[in-house]
Amino acid sequence: MTLHTLNASPGSAAFTDCLRMIAAGDVLLLLGDGVYAALAGTGARAQLDACGARLCVLREDATAAGVLERVAGTELIDIDGFVALSEQFPRQLAWY
Amino acid sequence: MAARKRLLLLIRHSPYGSSLARASLDVALAAAAFDQPLSLLFTGDGVLQLLPGQDSEALGVRNPGRLLASLPLYDIEQVYVDAEAAARYQLDLGAAPVTALALERQQIRELIESHEHLLGF
Repeated sequence: MTLHTLNASPGSAAFTDCLRMIAAGDVLLLLGDGVYAALAGTGARAQLDACGARLCVLREDATAAGVLERVAGTELIDIDGFVALSEQFPRQLAWY
Repeated sequence: MAARKRLLLLIRHSPYGSSLARASLDVALAAAAFDQPLSLLFTGDGVLQLLPGQDSEALGVRNPGRLLASLPLYDIEQVYVDAEAAARYQLDLGAAPVTALALERQQIRELIESHEHLLGF
């Protein structure tokens, strides 16, 4: 069980590398430029939906990017939620 | 006494495109100097660090290939490489500067699960 954080856009190597390492039961939290991967209807989003991980988006970053209304179907969490997630998981891996 | 936590470094960047490659090896050597249990995984573009015959003298920067060859001297012997990423670049692992065990995707996931601390570079 791993908490993955992705802070890179869908065109990045980090996005591709991260997707390959995610396993069912993991959580993927999108933050920074990673929030663009949650855009509904995109190929990147379809890949994330198929990866088997619970998909979360950092609300503050999605708001800043103007994508808050376009990430339906993901779980929006705030910074406190991020802290809570990091407490629940035995390990965390940052992709950037 | 609780078992010591194990550190896994995921090395994902090419050797000369940024300072990340160098930083990852510095962390590896620092951890080894303090006898911390440590594993290295080369994945993504990080596998390009395993190319033999690197010569960075004209660039005036250190050659990570040479540093990699010295890892066994620091008792860093848990060195792994993503088989799929290595195949993408047609890497001959037999000629790599350090001996790295090739892992398939599922084995990499198990490797991640067997470490408590994960650092990506």
